[in-house]
Amino acid sequence: MSGEARRKTSGAAVLAAFLRRDFREALTYKFSFLSSVTGILLSSATFYFVAKLVPAGVPSLGPFGGDYFSFAVVGVAFAGLLGMFQEGLAAVVRSAQLSGTLEALLVTPAGVPTILFGSSLYSLVFQVFRTVLHLAVALAFFGLTLGRVNGAGVLAVGVLTILCFLSVGVLSASFILVYKTGNPFSWILGSVSGVLGGVVFPVALLPPWIRWVSSLLPVTYALDGMRKSLLASASFAEVLPDVAALAVFDALLLPLSVVFRLAVRKAKKDGTLSHY
Amino acid sequence: MTTGPAIFAENLIKRYPIFRGFREIILKPLGRRTVTALDGLDLDVGRGRVFCLLGPNGAGKTTLVKVLATLVLPDGGRAMVEGHDVAREPGPAKRAVGYAVSDERSFYWRLTGRQNLEFFGALYGLRGRARERRIDELLRIVGLDEAADLRFNGYSTGMRQMLGFARALLADAAILLVDEPTRSLDPQAADRIRSFLREELAGRQGKTILWATHDLGEAADCADDIAVISRGRIRLRGPAASLAAGGRSSLRQAYEQAVNESEEKP
Repeated sequence: MSGEARRKTSGAAVLAAFLRRDFREALTYKFSFLSSVTGILLSSATFYFVAKLVPAGVPSLGPFGGDYFSFAVVGVAFAGLLGMFQEGLAAVVRSAQLSGTLEALLVTPAGVPTILFGSSLYSLVFQVFRTVLHLAVALAFFGLTLGRVNGAGVLAVGVLTILCFLSVGVLSASFILVYKTGNPFSWILGSVSGVLGGVVFPVALLPPWIRWVSSLLPVTYALDGMRKSLLASASFAEVLPDVAALAVFDALLLPLSVVFRLAVRKAKKDGTLSHY
Repeated sequence: MTTGPAIFAENLIKRYPIFRGFREIILKPLGRRTVTALDGLDLDVGRGRVFCLLGPNGAGKTTLVKVLATLVLPDGGRAMVEGHDVAREPGPAKRAVGYAVSDERSFYWRLTGRQNLEFFGALYGLRGRARERRIDELLRIVGLDEAADLRFNGYSTGMRQMLGFARALLADAAILLVDEPTRSLDPQAADRIRSFLREELAGRQGKTILWATHDLGEAADCADDIAVISRGRIRLRGPAASLAAGGRSSLRQAYEQAVNESEEKP
């Protein structure tokens, strides 16, 4: 074996290779970026006009600055980002199963976590870019009203949220690796979060008999903390309850990420790595 | 470099679970049905040898190759490549083996041949100028230097197979595993691949090649050693020079006898 081949695979170099691969592939789809920007414009325009139906001073919007358009845009932009963190890993595993590249990746000396994270890195980075673009478009063309932005709050809520949703993403990817389809994490968290997580309306509007479900969903705290930090000029102390709740979700979910190694082992044991 | 055989397997066992329907799961929730792919297989392949593994469909050829490539975990026994246990030391084992995945879907079709190799090269730890040099060298060896910057989806089946060899050679591993490399190729392309494996990789580069195939003629022409696998065990093995001494017909006769005996006395 040559000296070059004996060299250990560096995590950063491997992640950079995944980014470069996916960027090169994305360049071959010429209209993908254009359709993405068009979607952002249409979504912003829709909520801009819906917001005209919502009178100013609605009490349930008070904690978030009082403007419905800003409330909805932040909700939709960040829900898209969280959805990608939650489902992106499972999507790349499924895609590698279907395209047939999974075995070719797993015979290389690159570590399994590096392969999993690297495979979804471009999608995650691109979704962060889309979220920023979404907010920029809303700010420039539709009158998004930001408050005095609490940078520390945005950072704390953002990092804890990403860790939480990545953990759910790893669980989803593990399920897909073994069972191929029918991911229950995506179904339960994805569909329930859309209705009960406060994406396009405040959870305060929900009837009390179901509002308690919202308090079990990480998306509720993620959006609450992010809106307060971006729109309502809240201090760090005011977003601390959201930060604490997200930290508890992280403490519960992060250790479960080890299940991905077990899933790879089970797929190798069952001989189903290349099945789809 | 370790001494001893390049590839070694002892009492290797692999049983796959069989899919169970809802009715069976409800009636026997703890039941488990399996099909045996490897049934106590013993094997050793000497360094620098071209070892052809012949066998009917479902004999265990692909399972053995995937166990050696660390893609399937054995249920019993042990398998070693270059002295590394594939189940206990998968990292060093992966570095000792190049697996030419014959599935053309294992590439990124919208990238060029070179871009595919650049990506997989990074996963093998190759970087910068060293990676570029290695890729240029491999593209030249497999005869794809002029097609390197064409998209993979424009390659013929033979070119895709050749790019698979280039990828398997990126790490310059001592052992190459190939599983039916000439399947679905026209006779000329198949001949090119046979002579590439035999003359370039085994002859010039001194690789150990484990070559799973259905094609008796291919084995007779290319192998140093031949083994017949059936029902998960090696039923016959020997130097190609002796098994195919009487030509392809004598190899066919020996093959059929070994397979038939395994079916009569499993």
